[in-house]
Amino acid sequence: MAKRNYRPLASVKALQKTMGRYYALTNYHRYWGKPFRRPLAWVTSGAPVELLRSFKIHSAYPEQYAAIYSARNTTVALCEIADSAGYSQDLCSYARSNIGGVLRPDLAPLGGMPKPDLLVACNNICGTVLKWYEALARHFNIPLLVLDTPYLTDEMTQQAKDYVLEQLYAMAVDLEKITGRPFNEKNLAKQMRQSAEITSLWKETRQYCQANPSPLNAPDLFIHMAPIVVLRGSQEGIDYYRKLKAEVKERVALGQGAVENERIRLVWDNIAIWPQLFTFYKMFADKGACFVSDTYSGGWASLQSPGTPMESLATTYTEVFLNRSPEFRANQLINLIRDYKADGFVMHSNRSCKPYSLVQEVIRKKVMRETGVPGLMIEADMADLRAYAEEPVRNRVQAFLETFD
Amino acid sequence: MQKYFVGVDIGSLTVKVVLINDDLEILGTAMTRAGFSGRDVAARLKDQLISDSGLTAQVIGATVATGYGRVTFPSDREVSEITCQAKGISHLFPTARTVIDIGGQDSKVIKLLSNGRVADFAMNDKCAAGTGRFLEVMAAALEVEWQEISELASTSENPAKISSFCTVFAESEIISHVSTGALKSDILAGVCDSVASRVASMTRRTGLEPDIVFTGGVAHNQGVVNALSKQLGYPLLVSREPVITAALGAALLASELRKA
Amino acid sequence: MSEITEHVKNKSLELLLEEATLNGAARILRYPKSRFFGYFCSYFPEELILAAGLEPLRLLPDTGNSTPAELPAYCCSLAKGTLDMEIRGKWQDLAGIGFTHTCDTMQCLSGIWAASGHSKTIDIVPPVMLNTSGASRYYLAEMHSLLNSLMALTQNKINKEALQDALKLCTYTRKLATELDALRPDLPSQMVSSLMRAGQVMPRLDYSQALEKCLPALKEMAEPNQHRLKVLISGAVVENDSLFAMIEDLGGRVVADDTCTGYRHYSGPTVMEAEDPLVDIVRRYTEMPPCPCKNRSLNERMAYLNDLAHQRQVKCAIIVIRKYCDPHAWDAVALSESFRNSGIRTLTLELEGADVGGQERTRLQAFLESMKADSEL
Repeated sequence: MAKRNYRPLASVKALQKTMGRYYALTNYHRYWGKPFRRPLAWVTSGAPVELLRSFKIHSAYPEQYAAIYSARNTTVALCEIADSAGYSQDLCSYARSNIGGVLRPDLAPLGGMPKPDLLVACNNICGTVLKWYEALARHFNIPLLVLDTPYLTDEMTQQAKDYVLEQLYAMAVDLEKITGRPFNEKNLAKQMRQSAEITSLWKETRQYCQANPSPLNAPDLFIHMAPIVVLRGSQEGIDYYRKLKAEVKERVALGQGAVENERIRLVWDNIAIWPQLFTFYKMFADKGACFVSDTYSGGWASLQSPGTPMESLATTYTEVFLNRSPEFRANQLINLIRDYKADGFVMHSNRSCKPYSLVQEVIRKKVMRETGVPGLMIEADMADLRAYAEEPVRNRVQAFLETFD
Repeated sequence: MQKYFVGVDIGSLTVKVVLINDDLEILGTAMTRAGFSGRDVAARLKDQLISDSGLTAQVIGATVATGYGRVTFPSDREVSEITCQAKGISHLFPTARTVIDIGGQDSKVIKLLSNGRVADFAMNDKCAAGTGRFLEVMAAALEVEWQEISELASTSENPAKISSFCTVFAESEIISHVSTGALKSDILAGVCDSVASRVASMTRRTGLEPDIVFTGGVAHNQGVVNALSKQLGYPLLVSREPVITAALGAALLASELRKA
Repeated sequence: MSEITEHVKNKSLELLLEEATLNGAARILRYPKSRFFGYFCSYFPEELILAAGLEPLRLLPDTGNSTPAELPAYCCSLAKGTLDMEIRGKWQDLAGIGFTHTCDTMQCLSGIWAASGHSKTIDIVPPVMLNTSGASRYYLAEMHSLLNSLMALTQNKINKEALQDALKLCTYTRKLATELDALRPDLPSQMVSSLMRAGQVMPRLDYSQALEKCLPALKEMAEPNQHRLKVLISGAVVENDSLFAMIEDLGGRVVADDTCTGYRHYSGPTVMEAEDPLVDIVRRYTEMPPCPCKNRSLNERMAYLNDLAHQRQVKCAIIVIRKYCDPHAWDAVALSESFRNSGIRTLTLELEGADVGGQERTRLQAFLESMKADSEL
């Protein structure tokens, strides 16, 4: 029972240092933001942060904090605060715990998030972010900038591309007003280059997991994705992913697997079950099952589209996988299963995330049909522990893993 | 001539009848299981209470019905449980500003104005968490009698954590606690905490103002009373007969009908 | 409803009330010559369906508790119910089904439908930020794409004239619906709700003709409301009149309606000015009172509803949330707060589907009782 069946990464130290520095900077923003004329924005995970960085705006991610709240077991208490304020318990648990933390910072880890100067939301990940950020805009009475990236029922269309591009230029004008700095395309180009570099590093690191045994398991991917979410486009991020990549490469050279005696290779679909990050994945690791890839942290490994910096931003952020049809999503999963020689896949039917989850059953059927590998569906929640039924989940996982015996 | 008034509360599990006089004194109360037809049971119970009190139907000024069966029960007026509960409680406890009512099927929090009127209220959603039914299911899973819950729970030193908000999930959570050897008393205390935290959250929605009166069938359960009082940070006033307060409110409203 | 129809000997009114009860279920029998095209959401432009020679049919679930395997438990009963009907072959006769990108669920449903249903599906993705830079140009381009998809579907060209005729019919229907809406304070709530819904589940020309014919009778029936509590209702799709009937039964009267299947479906300006009819159509859908999925500006929806409440002298509002409908659940918080600030009491009522039962009665009754108690003081 007590035996750990996974190999810890040395890079965790560097990760803690990099992220620790970021959190310290963020949480002390009130001391340095004004003097350096660098406003603080709360942004969604799919916001075009390169544009914000080119205006020297410091970004903080409510979704990221919500994952931390959850890993530290405070989500339920914070959700209850939001619940009392009238927010239905069926709404996204990231949003509810964030709002709970806004209303009661004393109950939130790290003392809650620092107060923002502006809000930037992009609806490429869901429609919830619009409603969530509207609520925040009313609460803080600060500007809300929204980038509306039309859902792509098929391929990208010219009208969608033009529309997003036009909004980006308008957003640049708004940001000029807010920051008092002029838009500088060269700055943006530099941010885009650094962002491209970090994305490539993350992508290459992940591709090492095609090795057998896989050098990384899902919890590693989930933990080490933090910098690419919050430090995309930064030198610190690049430095960190160089270290991680070197370590993972070495593991492959030495034939070291993340999971001891890897015998089942799986692909994960949907956001991590943060409050059960170790206990849940341990059920798999104990049986020699390793998650060699996933669609979630892989969302940050898509290379930039070509064009001018603004055109590239427009396309890259609109073509995000969550903004695509189930057909596209199924093919993505099929390719992962083939490229990573996976034996099966596990889908987390995540109560909090409808765009990710509602289509999963249709995708599951198609993927099973086309690849011939089994797929398991687990109903839970990315942050709210109350939606996690331990016994039924354990039963299903066990039965699923027994099919590989 | 002295007139009398009747309040009938037809709940999902039980039927309650209260008889009062012109001076608003309680002359008698009766209660029984609702069975298949709460309406017929209530009609019989009402007649019996009147005759047991040595009265006849002719001297009854008015009857008000409340509870789930109120709509089809022949009465002078049907009034929701919330309004009746507010009436009954503010009669018994004039200083009450918040009423917490946990019954078999639902739980309610009612905020009162100083004149006893309803200022706001909240009810549980369509889910048994935070109701008497939840306690009942969990007690059954632990093979404990309903009456034993409070006594057992009060001996717990280390309440178990029940995190699921779904009754079915919570039941499986309890079974896994049992299988890991947790004490029955600790699990029961955890169940009481779970009901309390659900209702406490509802209380925050309407705003909490003392004095707080706890009524409804679950108010008999000292385990929940203690857990709730601790979570709210206020002492709770509990009526002596928490089950009949809505029926009392109905009887009081019946007496007002006559005057109007 | 029966007691209302009994003393109304008006053929047109009877027809409309029947159609509303059927919600389109008898369409093949009643309108054998019409070809229907199913759609979701009031943002799907009916004008284009009509111009394509098809009859728009709003898809409504026939029961509140379907559980198709394709959707998880935490999905709304509108999506579950209608998809289940697709799988049961209830929409086989339709020329196709149109989806509008509004909420996440509708977005997902379109893809699920295409993968597991038999009907041909067509999408339109209107802008979410209706007033943002480039939105109207994008919207117009989407409208043109939709027109092309419909032409491909029917294998028929849609000319300008057909579009203009459709626009005229819709404009006229909306004008009649607005007249009906003005009579709300003096007519039974469930009857008006029925009449509004009928216009989304039957051929449009038949609807507007019948409504036109019965409006004089409705005006005659109207009885100035002296003592009923005036209620505003806001919510998403409400596929039957059960809630409206209960409000009426408890002494209330719905005098202002902001439900997707109610007056919001018809409200907003209709213009016929531009050279390209699609420009006019885009303008109408951009300027209609927004649903929670759309943003015209941060507080426009709240301001619109507060105005509506003020105009209709409403003191209490009921916000209906279909279980698992995220956009309406989100807005309920800000909306009830803004109502509260204007002295309007609010009840948020969560429903599985459109049916109301004992629990809802208790909530509604207590809410209306507390309102009456206030007015008696």
